[in-house]
Amino acid sequence: MSAALAATLLRGSLSGNRWRSLLAAACIALGVALAGAVHTLHASALDEIDQAARVLAGAADWQVEGPRNGFDDAAYAAVASLPAVAVASPVLELDAPLASGEGTVRVLGIDPFRAARLQPGFLAGEGARGGEGATVRLDAGAAWLTPAAAARLSARPGGTLRLRGPLGEVRLAVAGLLPALDTGGPLVVMDIAAAQLAFGRVGVIHRIDLRLAPSVPREAALRAIAARLPPGVTLRRPGDEALRTAGLTRAYRVNLTALALMALFTGGFLVFSTLALQAARRRREFALLRALGLTAGGVRAFLAMEGALLGVAGALAGTALGLAASRAMLERFGYDLGAGFFAGSGRVFAPDAAALALIGGLGVATAVAAALAVTRPLSRLDVAQALKDRQVDLPAAPGGWAAPLALAAAATAAAWLPPAGEIPVGGYLSIGLALAAAVLAVAPASRALLERVPARDRPLGTLALAQVRSLPGHLAAMVSGIVVSVALTAAMAIMVHSFRLSLDGWLAGVLEADLFARASPRGDAVVFTPAVQQGLAAVPGVARVDPIRFERLTPEGAAGPLTVIARPVTPALLRGFQAQPAEVPPRAGDAVNAWVSEAAVDLLGWKAGDEVTLPLAGRRARLHVAGTFRDYSRTWGAVLLDLADYRRITGDALANDIAVHLAPGVDAAAVAAAVGRVVAGVPGAELHDASFIHARALRIFDRTFAATYALEAAAILIALAGVTSSFAALAWSRRREFGVLRHLGLTRGEVIRLLALEGGAAGLLGAGLGLAAGAAVSVVLVHVVNRQSFHWGMAIHWPAAALSVLAAAVVALCALGASAAGRAAVAREAVHAVKDDA
Amino acid sequence: MLAVRGLAKSWPGGDALFAQVDLAVAAGELVAILGESGAGKSTLLNIVAGLDRADAGTVEVGDTRVSALDEDGLARWRRRHVGFVFQAFHLLPYLSVAENAGLPLLLNGVPAAERRERVQAALASVGLAGRGDRRPASLSGGEMQRVAVARAVVHRPALVLADEPTGNLDETNAAATLEALRAAVKREGAAGVLVTHSPVAAAAADRVLRLAGRRLAPA
Ligand SMILES: Nc1ncnc2c1ncn2[C@@H]1O[C@H](COP(=O)(O)OP(=O)(O)O)[C@@H](O)[C@H]1O
Ligand SMILES: [Mg+2]
Repeated sequence: MSAALAATLLRGSLSGNRWRSLLAAACIALGVALAGAVHTLHASALDEIDQAARVLAGAADWQVEGPRNGFDDAAYAAVASLPAVAVASPVLELDAPLASGEGTVRVLGIDPFRAARLQPGFLAGEGARGGEGATVRLDAGAAWLTPAAAARLSARPGGTLRLRGPLGEVRLAVAGLLPALDTGGPLVVMDIAAAQLAFGRVGVIHRIDLRLAPSVPREAALRAIAARLPPGVTLRRPGDEALRTAGLTRAYRVNLTALALMALFTGGFLVFSTLALQAARRRREFALLRALGLTAGGVRAFLAMEGALLGVAGALAGTALGLAASRAMLERFGYDLGAGFFAGSGRVFAPDAAALALIGGLGVATAVAAALAVTRPLSRLDVAQALKDRQVDLPAAPGGWAAPLALAAAATAAAWLPPAGEIPVGGYLSIGLALAAAVLAVAPASRALLERVPARDRPLGTLALAQVRSLPGHLAAMVSGIVVSVALTAAMAIMVHSFRLSLDGWLAGVLEADLFARASPRGDAVVFTPAVQQGLAAVPGVARVDPIRFERLTPEGAAGPLTVIARPVTPALLRGFQAQPAEVPPRAGDAVNAWVSEAAVDLLGWKAGDEVTLPLAGRRARLHVAGTFRDYSRTWGAVLLDLADYRRITGDALANDIAVHLAPGVDAAAVAAAVGRVVAGVPGAELHDASFIHARALRIFDRTFAATYALEAAAILIALAGVTSSFAALAWSRRREFGVLRHLGLTRGEVIRLLALEGGAAGLLGAGLGLAAGAAVSVVLVHVVNRQSFHWGMAIHWPAAALSVLAAAVVALCALGASAAGRAAVAREAVHAVKDDA
Repeated sequence: MLAVRGLAKSWPGGDALFAQVDLAVAAGELVAILGESGAGKSTLLNIVAGLDRADAGTVEVGDTRVSALDEDGLARWRRRHVGFVFQAFHLLPYLSVAENAGLPLLLNGVPAAERRERVQAALASVGLAGRGDRRPASLSGGEMQRVAVARAVVHRPALVLADEPTGNLDETNAAATLEALRAAVKREGAAGVLVTHSPVAAAAADRVLRLAGRRLAPA
């Protein structure tokens, strides 16, 4: 096909389809933008983590790392003295709240001499402004700031920085800046001994940065070092941080990306119905071109090109939109829209060109695939027939039950596939197959359903039914579009509703105490000392306090971290956590009872009855897995231990949270006030009652899913706009038929009502099939996708009211859109409509 | 049955198409109006059917003064009392042959059982007995037009209007269609008006008029 011919044809199609083309491109753009934004946010976040890790590690080639709460600094002495180690630099690392209460800042305690041998940037040399000395001369009360920290804290050399620690306020003199560490993010650097003292961490370090001696073979060096490390403290490469974070956020990322791809899929459908309608409209034109000598391949190539054009327009607009949106979101919300996975500052904007190109390419491919789907029936077009034929329509939708049933069976089977990594490929495959099955079921299902509807003597109803029943090609495409968007919306609605109700019930059980105190609502620098715990227990009206201690560590041989929750375990607590079984078994030998979360079951393979070991406080603790429990707080594994066991093993008597049970019959407000006075003695600590925490958790849930709701609304609006415009095209193509009906004595109003009925019927059919497919997809989302990516078990709850509103809205909007289209179609004289015969 | 008096029509900004047109057609009579393309035959037919308005003159069918009805009134009157045959058949593709033929009965609320009977009779009368379940697309042009004739008379209209019904047909099929139309008009006792540019087609009528030079006169 020549370029001139293509251009001529294109002009014809674009002029008649401006709005529909725009809508289709918009839908592609939406999917591309969403996927692009999600990817850019995460790429930027990982980039920042990576940059920071690299600049801080400097010349270190290995790092020794332990649990979140740190490890004994004796390990440092043991490692540093090895001949295999050229340089060893101990690091204390914690997030300290600002005394002003406005967030936290990361504090690094270092040994300046040793740190500087790996990263000279720790020595504020010539670049230092304001301070005349160097970190080497750090005294106990001095701190050096990276420029990012200075900007964030509005601190200047010579000024004072006020932070909170478990022992009260920590005042530091700002001695100078460390410009060479700027990519490290906002950091407060101080002497490690001073930091240990100020933040109550004497004898504790979090990390040792190492440079190996070149003379010793690496394998031997690593083996020698590992031998000196206590359990739970391991060697790793400095670059692993970003990789590990990527692992933690993968589920979140994959799910958002899947959502984006679904938007893209809907977009593909709109492209399909746009091109299908326009091919139908121009069927005679194509037939004429064929008669004039254009090959079937030429017509196909033209339509594919048109699809590609729509796809490219959508992909370009979507990529630009995605970049702009991710940039704006970075500035406003940080890397994860406030979901709490990344602590980064949002300063790095690192779009990944290759990935964006891939996503854009996917958008174009979707559009081209949709276009090629259109050309299939067109290539079967009988030129002579089409030239003669007055009816402008695609061949009727094909369809027996064989293909949809086979796809449905494949979808069911795919749901049982194991996840790849933590990515529920089987689940997504199953969803895709289920949607395809629903689309292919449109024709046979509509026939089966509508055949049973008795034809009454009402003329309009009978005519509408006959039209929908015969399901001409473009009506089928339109119904398919409705099916897909309703299915996706319904599935998300069911999933979110199930999740919310499950979370609600879980929170009600988990929050079984009256009041909850938290030492460090942000960061981890502040903890409750035994004195505070006893002080709370002694408040009159308090029946019992349950100190809660968190630790995060990596079990030997595990890929990811594990959270340890230590608190007094009672049958009521186990019931609240939906533990199975929910009773405390008698102790088996010297093994300690432990309950593991569903994620630990999935990720570590632990199950009730197992004997496992956990590196606690530098020792291997033997645990007996007494049961499993549900943990909607984290996507990685967790282990619940009785506090008494934990303290016996670790000697750690501190607490991060305290659950306070009031005595029956006391004046709750007065006791809460008295408890509040004790908690207020710990700077920065928070006290809330159970109902507040419950409500806050649900609020956060709703905020996290707000983006999902907005997307769903956008998807369904675009789909409905597509339906309306499709109906307009359909009405246009049927104006001759309407002319005949007016000759036969139908009034204009009746023709409009006829179309409204057809629109309503198509909407009903689409909504019905969509709801059925959506229910199936939601089951896969809840039991396969969620379980495999977040490791949360939950029950399905049906949001009957929301689904009814959805279905009613779809039917009503289809009817409205169709009648609006009908109004336009009968505006012309009936006489003209039947007159085109020469 | 049909009485047209003093009809005049001109398009805005154009010369008069015709003026002082009188036409009377009796029940059971088929009248042909012959004329060149562009003479105004279709316009005249449309005015009679109430699909277009005349500048002057009246149209009466039976006791109904058609020219006095409003738009919805006209639609309801057409539904009850008029049958149409078009050049391009205009069958609805998603309805079966029987459903197409029965469409006027459906529109008039005739019960299903009676509908079935009358459609069968109408299809049989145009030689299409037993084709009721087929789709229009599977018929030949001649067959389609005979279905259209069945549709035009199935509800026993007072007036049957056919605009170039043989324009898309070959001679054999044209003859069969005209014969079916003539027979139907006689059988149902309708006033039939057939407009055509073809003298051959016009010959099927009881009486032939010619629309030329803005006048309607016997040929
Ligand atoms: N809506 C209209 N507006 C203006 N002129 C019209 C309109 N409809 C028909 N005409 C003109 O009226 C003349 C008669 O048309 P028509 O009745 O269709 O003729 P015929 O059926 O005899 O071929 C033609 O010249 C045509 O161009
Ligand atoms: Mg004409």
